[in-house]
Amino acid sequence: MAVVRPFDKLPALNSAAVLLVGSDESLQQKLAEAILKEKKNFKISIHLATSLPLPSERDHLRPRIDLIAFMIDIKSKYSLKNVEASLAHVDASFFLGKVCFLVTGVGRVNYCSVEMNAIWKLGEVYCSPVLYCELELEGIRVATAQRLLRMLQICAGHIPGVSALSFGLLMRNSADE
Amino acid sequence: MQRRQSSKNSKQPLQVRHSNQTDLSAWRKGGRTDPEKSLQNRQSRNSQVNESKQDSLEQAVSYFEKVQDRVSLKKNEVLQKHLATVESIALQKGLPPEAFDVLLNVALSGKLADAVNTRLLKSLIPASVIPETSVVSSVSWLCVSKCSGSIQLLFVRWLITVFDFIDHKEQLHALYGFFFSFLQDEKMCPYVCHLLYLLTRKESVKPFRIRRLLDLQAKMGMQPHLQALLSLYKLFCPELVSITLPGKMKTYFKNSEGPWKAAINTIRRRNQENSPVSQPLFLGTAQHQSRKRKWNTQLVIPASSANTNSLAGDKEKNHVDLYSTSESFPVEQLQTFSQLLQNIHHLEFPSQMGSVLTNPLLLHYMNCIKDESIYLRLYYWMGQTLQEECSWCVVDSNQYEEEFKDFLETIYKTECFLQEGFSSCEEFLYKSLPLWDGFCCRSQILRLVTWIPLSSFSEMKSHLYDPLAQLFFTSSLYFKCSVLESLKELLQNWLNWHVIQLDSESDSQGYSLNTTLSGLVNVVAELIHFVGWISTVALRLESNATFLLYFILDFYETVCDIYLRYNLPLLIMPPAGVFYPALLSMDSVSLNQLCYIMYRYRTNLVAAKENELIKKKILQFQFSSQTYQEYNQYIIAMVGCLWTSSAFQKDIHPQGVRLDDEVLKKTRVQEFKTSFNIVYHPAMMGYALLFLQQAWPDDNTFNFSLIKGRKWNWYLQYLYAQGLKGLKLFIESSINRVSRASQSKEGNVQV
Repeated sequence: MAVVRPFDKLPALNSAAVLLVGSDESLQQKLAEAILKEKKNFKISIHLATSLPLPSERDHLRPRIDLIAFMIDIKSKYSLKNVEASLAHVDASFFLGKVCFLVTGVGRVNYCSVEMNAIWKLGEVYCSPVLYCELELEGIRVATAQRLLRMLQICAGHIPGVSALSFGLLMRNSADE
Repeated sequence: MQRRQSSKNSKQPLQVRHSNQTDLSAWRKGGRTDPEKSLQNRQSRNSQVNESKQDSLEQAVSYFEKVQDRVSLKKNEVLQKHLATVESIALQKGLPPEAFDVLLNVALSGKLADAVNTRLLKSLIPASVIPETSVVSSVSWLCVSKCSGSIQLLFVRWLITVFDFIDHKEQLHALYGFFFSFLQDEKMCPYVCHLLYLLTRKESVKPFRIRRLLDLQAKMGMQPHLQALLSLYKLFCPELVSITLPGKMKTYFKNSEGPWKAAINTIRRRNQENSPVSQPLFLGTAQHQSRKRKWNTQLVIPASSANTNSLAGDKEKNHVDLYSTSESFPVEQLQTFSQLLQNIHHLEFPSQMGSVLTNPLLLHYMNCIKDESIYLRLYYWMGQTLQEECSWCVVDSNQYEEEFKDFLETIYKTECFLQEGFSSCEEFLYKSLPLWDGFCCRSQILRLVTWIPLSSFSEMKSHLYDPLAQLFFTSSLYFKCSVLESLKELLQNWLNWHVIQLDSESDSQGYSLNTTLSGLVNVVAELIHFVGWISTVALRLESNATFLLYFILDFYETVCDIYLRYNLPLLIMPPAGVFYPALLSMDSVSLNQLCYIMYRYRTNLVAAKENELIKKKILQFQFSSQTYQEYNQYIIAMVGCLWTSSAFQKDIHPQGVRLDDEVLKKTRVQEFKTSFNIVYHPAMMGYALLFLQQAWPDDNTFNFSLIKGRKWNWYLQYLYAQGLKGLKLFIESSINRVSRASQSKEGNVQV
């Protein structure tokens, strides 16, 4: 029952790792494929998990995780519950800019079974940005993959002068200032 | 009363009406000779199939016309067959206008079981238009209560969905009171409200109706649908409705599109694909109607939009006689500006408000009469359409993205034409921007952003700036540039609006409503600060990309001239995060742009100071000394860099490039002092090199130190001749060369 920590391992040169956590495995898979298709000038490893904690036996093989994206489907209450339960297994220092919430299903807002307010609050409480998208549509999936990659680059420290923490502050909704 | 005239005795067996029969076959023949269809190169087999389908529909319709008693669906195979025919044809190509009369009659007469009636109603999908008479006669069935409540409800929902397909509305308007009486029914109430909302005209607002609505509201509580109707009444007759209603409501009515919307869209689409050329949006009569999707249809004024029957269109004289009864000029005949001027006193807007969007004459008219209810009708329709068709909020309409783009484009063009933003559009943006992925319809959305009206900062911040900033930081360089571009246009639109307000100030009080000059200054200042902030971050994220810098400096080209060009007492310097990357950029374009901007700041500030000294008035809006101080700090850094080679010593900006000599020595760069002057500056060195080659063609040592004394002046002339106009203006205005002969490098930097 390992808590995921951001700084317990050394970073590998010119590479970045993202962890996607969500209950819908097929969407996860599709998003991961879209991320891999993007052009990039560093090595990327994508780890998929339906929930946290990650199994501890293969922990030594896992690279340092630079960004965790929690995927929430607004059509399923379970996906939100699952994410909320998983959040307990994430080290607090991850929330200094290395976590984001990916809300999918925006295309079916009318069939929404999750309170949008609850998601918004989740972002507030965990000080992490919330990205809205519709992963079922290919165009939007690609655009979302690009956005995630940009965030990953920053979180992995590939952009000089911008840290995950400072970027996280930029992405905060300034309503609570 | 209208309803009595069409009430009927259901026990009397329905006569076979030959007129209907001929109508139907006429439709079939018409279908064959339709120019639109003859253009398609259909294969003969295809046409045969079509023909047999039309025959079977004809049979089915005549069967339903004659059907008498309650026929059980399960036992009767003939009924099953005909029902299936109607359903499949309706879904494939829609029903012809003639079929509605019969089918509506059957469905609402209660002769058949409810299951059959429901299926019939659900398949009432129009291919082109729905005749008003058939709607009126079916409404009469509601009076005799032959059909069950659920069928009545389904009928009203159908009526709302296909409202815009009904060819005339006059008689329907006459039934207003009848529909109104249905408000009592609790289940029907929301839908009836929606229908009444579509039907209401000024003359329908009566004190007794208002009382009734208020009673209902007292009984049922504040229901959004009742509020919608009340607010419409209040708009038409503010003197009759005295209660206060909540200002902005996001959605009044639940989506009542029911089972028809998707089918209607599919048919429109299919018809559109069959048409050989895509239809440009233009002002015309209704012949293209059937090819378009719902909103597209409405961008063309249908021939039957007004309540006139025939279009004689002869001489002016005839017009007077012809229309003296209805007192209105048919808008679809309106073709020229002079016609508009002649008939401006008796124009009536078409029932499909959307058609106004593509008609410049009607837009002129709309702009000139300033009737609130016209805007309300347009906004209601537009808001509804935007919400239903939004490609990223509604997965199912994603395949129609191209059409949605066209629609957004049309709205944008209309806003440009009227020079004002639509509030329904603003609401749509506020509602959907947080959910936007920054990809779908990007250029259209960003263009609509440029017409967001001025509103309070807190609203703009949470609805526009915050979602935009999140997208901005995580998206590509090109997205960042397009956002900056549209924010520049937004700023320009606000400033233009202010100039127009100033002009009209002489005739009236100028700032009407709740906008005061200081309020405007604050909102504009917040926008500029916001752009300054995101620009600083973006330059860092994109490692000072020249392309990005161009768009940022372009924004500041508007900002630096606000005082003189737009007469607004506001000047805001760019943040250091923008100024220094531009000053030290590798590109002469950025440096030249920065020089021009600093020259304009100087001109504006000098003018402001002079005005202050001369008039000694409007002291309320003096620029703070901080602005002057900031300008002076920048100008010291700039002159120090480019001219006097003393930037590292003299720069006094806290985020500037001041460095101790000892630190500089440690860098082991020789001649560090001159490294950013106009010869050695990385953006200028290319010019210096070319200049050396021309001035000393034989010298290959590239000795830049040769450029001094008289050569320095030559070099300057060379730079000016290369098109660095901004640099020229800056040097001529901000650098005081004591004597040109002695080439003193003295900078007059204080304003």
